[in-house]
Amino acid sequence: MHLQLITLSGVSVDDKIYELMAPTTAGDIAVFPGHEPLVTMAAPGTLVVRHDKKDGDDKLEYFAISGGVIEVNPDSIRVLVDEADHGDDIIEAESQAALERALKLRDEAQDQVELDKAHQLIDRHTVRLRVAELQRRRRR
Amino acid sequence: MASTQALKGRIRSVSSTKQITKAMELVAASKMRRAQDATKASSPYTVAATSLLANLAGHVSVQTHPLFEQRTVKSRLFVVIASDKGLAGAFNSNIIRMYANELKADDTAGIANKTITIGRKAAQFVARIKDTEVVGSYQDTPDRPDGYELRAILDTAKDMFEAGEVDAVDVIYTDYVSSMTQQARITRLLPAGISHEPTASEVKDVLYEPSPEEVLDGIVYRLVGAQLFQALLDSRASEHSMRMMAMRNATDNASDLIEDLTLAMNKARQGAITQELSEISGGVEAMND
Repeated sequence: MHLQLITLSGVSVDDKIYELMAPTTAGDIAVFPGHEPLVTMAAPGTLVVRHDKKDGDDKLEYFAISGGVIEVNPDSIRVLVDEADHGDDIIEAESQAALERALKLRDEAQDQVELDKAHQLIDRHTVRLRVAELQRRRRR
Repeated sequence: MASTQALKGRIRSVSSTKQITKAMELVAASKMRRAQDATKASSPYTVAATSLLANLAGHVSVQTHPLFEQRTVKSRLFVVIASDKGLAGAFNSNIIRMYANELKADDTAGIANKTITIGRKAAQFVARIKDTEVVGSYQDTPDRPDGYELRAILDTAKDMFEAGEVDAVDVIYTDYVSSMTQQARITRLLPAGISHEPTASEVKDVLYEPSPEEVLDGIVYRLVGAQLFQALLDSRASEHSMRMMAMRNATDNASDLIEDLTLAMNKARQGAITQELSEISGGVEAMND
């Protein structure tokens, strides 16, 4: 099964995979080869990729994604999201600091626009932090 | 003729200016290369979203989506993309000239307008005029703008359009044609004028979750976003490219100036020597008499 992970800054994954676990607006889904054609909305969250059937849970790859669209065909998947960060590229301490800044921003927000912005930032960094944590746990 | 001392001072100051412009040229060149690569990066995204939209067209009526709705334009929103820093040749003045022309055209046509500015130079210009209402202004956007920056601008524009506050959203940006040519351009973001490839002849049996309408909503939003993102990337690449050219010209001018000044200085020095010699030989002549 072929996976293409396409973001605004280019194609970040273009590879053969066995299983994809993705968050959608209607709940998490797991896709295996031979899945019926499906187009669904991705929710911000953790995208998990298993490259080979024999791979254990310690070989999973994690991505923090923003919202987008997922197109599933029996032998291919296309994931279209604004941003996707590989677990290895996320620095946990940085995300933690960014999250704290966002929380502070929320508490100091003067109007609805600032509040919305803060909430978006909080969501984003919570996801990134979660992915960094999963990645760290895998390494152990 | 200026004294040798004064010319020496000028040469020194011009050479240090030259060093600075040379350094700025090199910095701009390396930033341009990176920005240039980035302008190409978002195209797979647009291609994929367009093909999804084409498939979707067989299931729901795409044209009735609110973001496609064509209304008589009574008010419009400008998104003006300039830079934070100057010294980039005609980059900012081109954008601002185009923007001012549009404002004038709106004035005569009786169209109200609002503005979102990106970049300090655009914000400074808007602050001086009274013709428009500023909705938002973004500064210090990173060299590689990410989805987060984009979404804030996009959401403001989309909400205003959907609420009927504005009937059109136009982006004024600099199109990156090549490293030699960059052109200020105005393009309509909303209502979305996305060109459709004709629908695939056979309607594929595809499951849409949660519903085709919601998926359509997501795709159209992303296509519009990609268009705005491309404008941001193009502007960024153009800025660096134009700054590089401006700095290269400045460096060349400085070199010419140094050459001229050196020539003048040598002449002045030689002149002084000649005069001194003739004075001495004149003196010797006088003593021989």
